[in-house]
Amino acid sequence: MKVSLKWLADYVDVPADIKEFCDRLDLTGTGVEGVEKLGAQFDGVVVGHVLTCEEHPDSDHMHVVTVDTGQGEPVQIVCGAPNIAAGIKVPVATVGAVLPGDLKIKKSKLRGVTSCGMCCSKRELGMGTDHAGIWVLPDDAPTGTPIADYLGLGDTVLDLEITPNRPDSLSIAGLGREVAAMYQTAFRNPLADMAAKMQPDASAAPLEDEVKITIDDAVRCPRYTARVIRGCKVGPSPDWMVERLTAIGQRSINNIVDVTNYILFLLGQPLHAFDLDTLKNDDGVAHIVIRAAEEGEKLQTLDGTDRVLTSDMTVISTPELGAVALAGVMGGMDTEVTEKTVDILLEAATFEPGRTSRTSRNLGLISESSLRYERGVDDHGIEARAAAAAALIAEVSGGTVAPAADNDEAIVDVWPLKTEERRLAFRILRFNAMMGSSIPRDFITDILGRLGCQVSDGADADTLDVVAPTFRPDLEREIDLYEEVLRLWGMDRIESSLPGGPGRVGTRTVEEHKRDIVNDTLRACGLNETMTYSFAHPDDLARLRMPEEGLGEAVELINPMNADQSVLRRSIIPGLLGSVAHNQAHGVKNIQLYEIGETFHAAEGRQLPKERTRVAGVMAGAMGEAAWNAAPAAFDFFDGKGVVESLARELAIPKLRFKALSAEEAPHLQPGRAAQVLSGGTVLGWVGELHPLAVAAFEANGPVVAFELEMPALVKSSQPARPYVDVPTYPAVALDVAFVVDEDVTHERMMQCMSSAGGKLLESVQLFDVYRDAERVGAGKKSMAYALTWRAADRTLTSEEAEKAQAKLVKKVCGATGAEVRG
Amino acid sequence: MAIVEEVAALKDETLAAIEAAADTAALEQVRVGVLGKSGSLTGYLRGMGKVPPEERAEVGKTVNAVRGAVEEALAARKAELAAAELAASMDASAVDVTLPGRVQQLGTRHLINRIADEISEIFLGLGYSIAKGPEVETEYYNFTALNAPADHPSRGLADTFYVVDRSENAHTHVKGESDVLLRTQTSPVQARVMESQKPPIYIISPGKVYRRDVADPSHLPQFHQIEGLVVDEGITFGDLKGTLEYVCKQIFGEERKTRFRAHYFPFTEPSAEVDVSCGICHGEGCRFCKGTGWLEILGCGMVDPNVYGYAGIDPEKYSGFAFGMGVERIACLKYNVPDLRMLVEGDMRFLRQF
Repeated sequence: MKVSLKWLADYVDVPADIKEFCDRLDLTGTGVEGVEKLGAQFDGVVVGHVLTCEEHPDSDHMHVVTVDTGQGEPVQIVCGAPNIAAGIKVPVATVGAVLPGDLKIKKSKLRGVTSCGMCCSKRELGMGTDHAGIWVLPDDAPTGTPIADYLGLGDTVLDLEITPNRPDSLSIAGLGREVAAMYQTAFRNPLADMAAKMQPDASAAPLEDEVKITIDDAVRCPRYTARVIRGCKVGPSPDWMVERLTAIGQRSINNIVDVTNYILFLLGQPLHAFDLDTLKNDDGVAHIVIRAAEEGEKLQTLDGTDRVLTSDMTVISTPELGAVALAGVMGGMDTEVTEKTVDILLEAATFEPGRTSRTSRNLGLISESSLRYERGVDDHGIEARAAAAAALIAEVSGGTVAPAADNDEAIVDVWPLKTEERRLAFRILRFNAMMGSSIPRDFITDILGRLGCQVSDGADADTLDVVAPTFRPDLEREIDLYEEVLRLWGMDRIESSLPGGPGRVGTRTVEEHKRDIVNDTLRACGLNETMTYSFAHPDDLARLRMPEEGLGEAVELINPMNADQSVLRRSIIPGLLGSVAHNQAHGVKNIQLYEIGETFHAAEGRQLPKERTRVAGVMAGAMGEAAWNAAPAAFDFFDGKGVVESLARELAIPKLRFKALSAEEAPHLQPGRAAQVLSGGTVLGWVGELHPLAVAAFEANGPVVAFELEMPALVKSSQPARPYVDVPTYPAVALDVAFVVDEDVTHERMMQCMSSAGGKLLESVQLFDVYRDAERVGAGKKSMAYALTWRAADRTLTSEEAEKAQAKLVKKVCGATGAEVRG
Repeated sequence: MAIVEEVAALKDETLAAIEAAADTAALEQVRVGVLGKSGSLTGYLRGMGKVPPEERAEVGKTVNAVRGAVEEALAARKAELAAAELAASMDASAVDVTLPGRVQQLGTRHLINRIADEISEIFLGLGYSIAKGPEVETEYYNFTALNAPADHPSRGLADTFYVVDRSENAHTHVKGESDVLLRTQTSPVQARVMESQKPPIYIISPGKVYRRDVADPSHLPQFHQIEGLVVDEGITFGDLKGTLEYVCKQIFGEERKTRFRAHYFPFTEPSAEVDVSCGICHGEGCRFCKGTGWLEILGCGMVDPNVYGYAGIDPEKYSGFAFGMGVERIACLKYNVPDLRMLVEGDMRFLRQF
């Protein structure tokens, strides 16, 4: 909210040091978002004295004048205004000034005559709508004075962030009370004097003859009041009001609307002025009914938009016209005050905060009124705030306030639901114990009083009885009072300490430890951690060719930012592929990325989706750049598999297996380069080269090696500790053998045969070569060369023994797999 | 005494040959020629039997002395040559030490997680544990149980991502809103922890959160927060201050100051925002801190009694505090990341910097 310090100073002493003042506001909970010095836009505009005025030789309406601007020689200006005359004082924009609308004043020629400045109208200075002619200043205006100084426009305007719990601070007077509490100084509340100025014309017809109010639902509208001001002349507002509204960024509209705005900003009371005649029925009565809108009911609001309403919204209506205003949000076009308006019905009411907020959100229509109603407008004191407005309308428009038949307040007032004052206990000891402070009782009593509370001694010496004011709906509980005292005492004055609870330790869970291992291992494998969006395109899985089986339904966003992000991901791979494409598009060829994150899997009938933590990685290009001493090998299936093997080793996952996945089982992977990862019978995930069509669908270049593993399965399979195995003390015998086998005999099969045939003496088997050659090995065959290590745990194994065992093994392997030993 | 003279001559000849040997191979040739199986000196030793007995002692002594001298000379020359050859071979294998090393390329931790790790480590040291919660949350845990007013604007479709509620009796409040949403803060973890755990509670909860912001240099629709919650007997606002002051100094450096500004959050009371003094101007005011000298880094407060009410904790017995900080914000302040979108692009050139 914008606050003019000049305006605020009418009600409380404002410190001269603006920086210090802003800091204090910040620290006590009123955030300062901007500080604007006013009057700067009038730089170069001064009071000018028109010395001579002659008709333009070449124009029938322009004049050529010489003006004393108080600086050196008088300047010559061409002026088109009809009321220009010699001897008058006018605002003159000199060369170099920049007027509102970014109008730069330059030396120019108008129909051949040089003009060195501009005599200004009010509108040209952004100070109203009056454009009939030059703004003629009083004769005693001192020539040469900057116009900002002359008009007293030098002002500082603060842009304040009012938190949603403080509706009272959405007004100048409310802030006056706050500032007075901040500095423990006097608050000069303007309300009583302003309200007392209202003087109804007792001789006139009572307003009850013309106005009737019916509230359908007290919750929607706890209080509705109306006053009538008759015989108004709608026109421009007085300068002082325009100046105040302009200072806080409000455009002057007309005297009636300006008063409602002025009171709204000064006292926080939203008001609406209706043209009374437009509301009247044939009997001359305006019957105001506050009711729920009908579903589909239409209303054209003041901004010119046709609105279709729902039954959740509240309208001001008459039986004849239907809806005439959207309660708490905006008035209607048909009943607005126009130049022709004579009699005014002034509405001052309160409306349900929640419903106002919903209405405003559903219509995308936020107004100064709705901002205040949705935070809560006090139902107490409306009569006084509206009286202040009525008095002001009468004053600025020449109207008179209509009397009431049944009260002296000149009001029709329906108040079915009164807010009760809240009585709260303030336990001083508990307060200080909770804050870790020793704030004195006197301070507490004083501050609460300044904030509008009634404070008295409570049941015991330690307790204060506090009655919270109804304009502070946030003061509901004892703790709310604690906050008030603490913030105004100053949080900076509370001594810092650390919690000293008895024996507690920070612990990390098994899952967190395992997750650390996964992260460390993947990084050691050269993968870089990244993060992609949890959002996904609905077609992502289809583009990836990944089957949806087992992945549940996609979580659908009701209000996505865009179609590309309209569901939540069920796999991390599409996001990572997007990053591969991003890198490749930027000339980065070698890409190793991984992400640990959630995937989301919905199911009908279940409110929250299943969230699975997954570990996914992609590798494209090669490990490292080509260097003077290294030729990087392009990534292939075995790089991905190697990462998974390293993970399994570091996590101590037993019985790691890789099972070939068929094209049907894993259509997103390249057939023949795809494997399921298992620990015994538990599926951990998959690894493989992504299908070239899937890679192309994400505009990336293959081959892309990828894996996606389930974190919970990794954690569950991971063994807590690895058993110790004796380091061998006796020497081993190493023997090699090469088998020629059919292509379909896998390495896994060979390993199974060898390990079962090798017995206890076979320590390890290492595949060191796979060789294919149609001539030497045979078509459809491959040669697999293994290095076998034989060792006895309790003695030195002789080579004869080892050779005998190896011969036995070879015979068994050949028998089982149809292998032949390659000579 | 021909033999003795012959041997002496052989000695001189051999010592000269040893001296002349240019490398270890030549030296070995000399050795074999003199001391080998059919070497010249070996011949004399073998022929001792033919030497008349009265000369034997003299001849034997001489031959042995010569052998000793030759062996000694061989060893000395060998050591000399070996040293020279080692030096020569090392000389030949010298490299340009400015050539790049053979690096095992390690991967990197994402900046956001790196910072989250650092902060988690600080709190672990203060005796906190880590709690987790779902990213798709109910409106109850994200708002209601945190005391957010029923019609608070932050619940609106403009700010919060809602998802289709697939439960059987799903109903909506405001057009388009549902009971299920992407959590807008890590605070729902607070509510869940208080429901499932009895005090004393000392936890932090790092995690992803979502808000309906268009991705631009300073906003992402998906970002990270770290939530903290303490509930125990006798916890004071001073404890909150002390804890966060310590943490800020740990994160940003001992020389940085902090200040607490009163603020409003529905789930804490009293509430505050915490600023840390600007590291660039040291509080003087500059462009980085928009002239204020301070940078806002977190929100905090004493846990609101209503929040205890939802969790069934007695606010007369227990008190506590909660805080939340944006990890991206800290990343920006510490590393000057100019565009948050870099954090989700996966650009290797960015990732490899950290």
